[in-house]
Amino acid sequence: MKPTFAISLLAAAAAFAAPSHADKLDDIIASGTLRCAVVLDFPPMGMRDESNTPVGFDVDYCNDLAAALGVKAEIVETPFPERIPALMSGRVDVGVASTSDTLERAKTVGMSIPYFAFEMAVTANDKSGIASFEDMKGKTVGATAGTFEAIALEKQVKEWGEGTFRPYQTQADVFLALSQGQLDATVSTSTVAQSNVKTGNFPGISVVGKAPFDIDYVALFTNREEYGLINYLNLFVNQQVRTGRYAELYEKWVGGDLPSLTVDGVHR
Amino acid sequence: MFNYTFQWKQAMARLPQMLDGAVVTMQVAILSMVLGILLAIILTMFRLSGIRILSAVAKTWVEIARNTPALFQIYMAHFGLGSFGLHLSPFLSILIGITFNNAGYLTENFRGALKAIPDTQTRAARSLGMGAAGAFRHVVLPQMLRISFLPMTNQMVWAILMTSLGVTVGMNTDLYGVTQDLNALTFRTFELFALAAVIFYAITKIVTLGARLIAARLFRY
Amino acid sequence: MFDTALTTADFVFLAKGAGMTIVVTIISVIAGTVLGIVFGVIRYQLGAIWAAPLIFVLDIFRSIPLLIQLVLANAFMGTILRLNMSGFTVACIVLSMYTAAYCAEIVRGGIEAVPATTRRAARSLGMSWGQDMREIVLPLATRVALPSWIGLALGVMKDSALVYVVQVTELLRSTQILITRLQEPLLLLMICGAFYFVISFPLARFGGYLEKRWSND
Repeated sequence: MKPTFAISLLAAAAAFAAPSHADKLDDIIASGTLRCAVVLDFPPMGMRDESNTPVGFDVDYCNDLAAALGVKAEIVETPFPERIPALMSGRVDVGVASTSDTLERAKTVGMSIPYFAFEMAVTANDKSGIASFEDMKGKTVGATAGTFEAIALEKQVKEWGEGTFRPYQTQADVFLALSQGQLDATVSTSTVAQSNVKTGNFPGISVVGKAPFDIDYVALFTNREEYGLINYLNLFVNQQVRTGRYAELYEKWVGGDLPSLTVDGVHR
Repeated sequence: MFNYTFQWKQAMARLPQMLDGAVVTMQVAILSMVLGILLAIILTMFRLSGIRILSAVAKTWVEIARNTPALFQIYMAHFGLGSFGLHLSPFLSILIGITFNNAGYLTENFRGALKAIPDTQTRAARSLGMGAAGAFRHVVLPQMLRISFLPMTNQMVWAILMTSLGVTVGMNTDLYGVTQDLNALTFRTFELFALAAVIFYAITKIVTLGARLIAARLFRY
Repeated sequence: MFDTALTTADFVFLAKGAGMTIVVTIISVIAGTVLGIVFGVIRYQLGAIWAAPLIFVLDIFRSIPLLIQLVLANAFMGTILRLNMSGFTVACIVLSMYTAAYCAEIVRGGIEAVPATTRRAARSLGMSWGQDMREIVLPLATRVALPSWIGLALGVMKDSALVYVVQVTELLRSTQILITRLQEPLLLLMICGAFYFVISFPLARFGGYLEKRWSND
């Protein structure tokens, strides 16, 4: 009897020491809250309204995801450079933060299929005389640190061999610097550029053209090893498009031609 | 032990870039310190001048520098001055921000040091025929700098640490900026910043040890 | 007077940020001071050689940018230990250790400023170590240490501006959020700076006054 008791005690202890690891999907459902990392100075994807509550495409997207999971959504504001650290430190469950799905990043986090696609546009200070992407050569240009366009633009400036590149911590700082004339031009997603110019908060800047960068597909992300959750996210993105919710949200926040989320000639 | 795979190799591969950043960090720190000391000497003379407006300038400078966050001062140097149409590069913004801070704190240190120099010395110098400026320059100043040497070393360490705030004004060539850029590329947050921490530690240790050696040579008597 | 889009709701928003700054500061200063006194006394009792490990650890907190300390602690507790900690907790822990590291030095300086002869006299009167510490060292050392301690507490309040990096929305971050929406950087930054100044300036003055008063006799 005694040994059996000891063994069962041991087993219990072992079970306690190494709880059968419920995966993140279970954790979220059990906790009743989905914590999303959202960038809130990235209109119209994420911003704040007059009462300083978070609104935007990404905010709605997070709310939809939470509703699908049957839990409450919690928006955690993260500046661009802090998105992934916030996930890695367990502060958020999922990133709904317009994150480009680069291979370098996929070494660290798990990406869903693309849920949105950006084209890149050049916005310039009217005094700089910049009228196209090529005009940016030799000028002072900037973008938001840690974004797809910042990485691409910095590379381009190095290739040109003249001019300077400055990354700012937030998209707002970039436009502030641009309208103050600290920057001559910036490359940002066209939706953000138009949205910022439209607010009228930044006098003296205008969108002057497209930047010849690849289309920036952005994905939801979570921890790399959470296959269950990634699977769920993939299906969720698919359903958003199928049910027309994607088009609805696009019309609500952005407007215009709905960007396609598929790539020709390849699976996924 | 941990449910986490460290990838030190990825971080170590970036070490040369980070060391380049450390050089820029040192440039900013040293320049801001030299300028800060010069400005602090000027502000101290303002204080001693007895001219009301000059001592008010010195007082305001010191109080703002000491009573607002350094991050605020640097942000102000970039975006605050920017609202007036004064555009500074990130390097200049961070340099001005830290210099402003250094000058404020050092002026306060100098004030403390001056208390330790008896008034009688100045009077003696004056009675020997030295002008007020001459007495300050040849009698008071050297002693003041010597007495404030330790606080100056501390301020130098702070200047080095403050360079990390440059990222808020678009700086990406200093040690912190480089680390953050690399983090955006690879998302190896812990490894990269741990490496940056080691470099910062090494730099501050070298600076404090160097200062101690200099002090031992200069002030032995 | 000012032509501004700032609403009452925005002031409430700023006030919330200011409240966060104050809460983080108070928690960190209290916890950091308690730890700092413990470390400072240990450091003094053990002497430079035996306390070397403690000196080394505390020195690290004074030699690495606070921003990096926060990022590292955040990554360490979350990514590596997988503790489910809020940014607020991480911010308070890091700031407390940061405070303790400086406070330990202030405490040690305070104890060392008490003349050895005074303490020997106390002990020879039959006082125990504890009595000596409480009745003799504490009041005398406090006189030396308090002005620097006030400076430290204010320093922590100003440095708490960096906790934005672990997603804590304190005063400066709230200001930036409003700048994003309203695009009135100068006005908003002035308000923010004025707030820090209004809290810090009188306390700093008080510290200076104490220092002056207590060093005269």
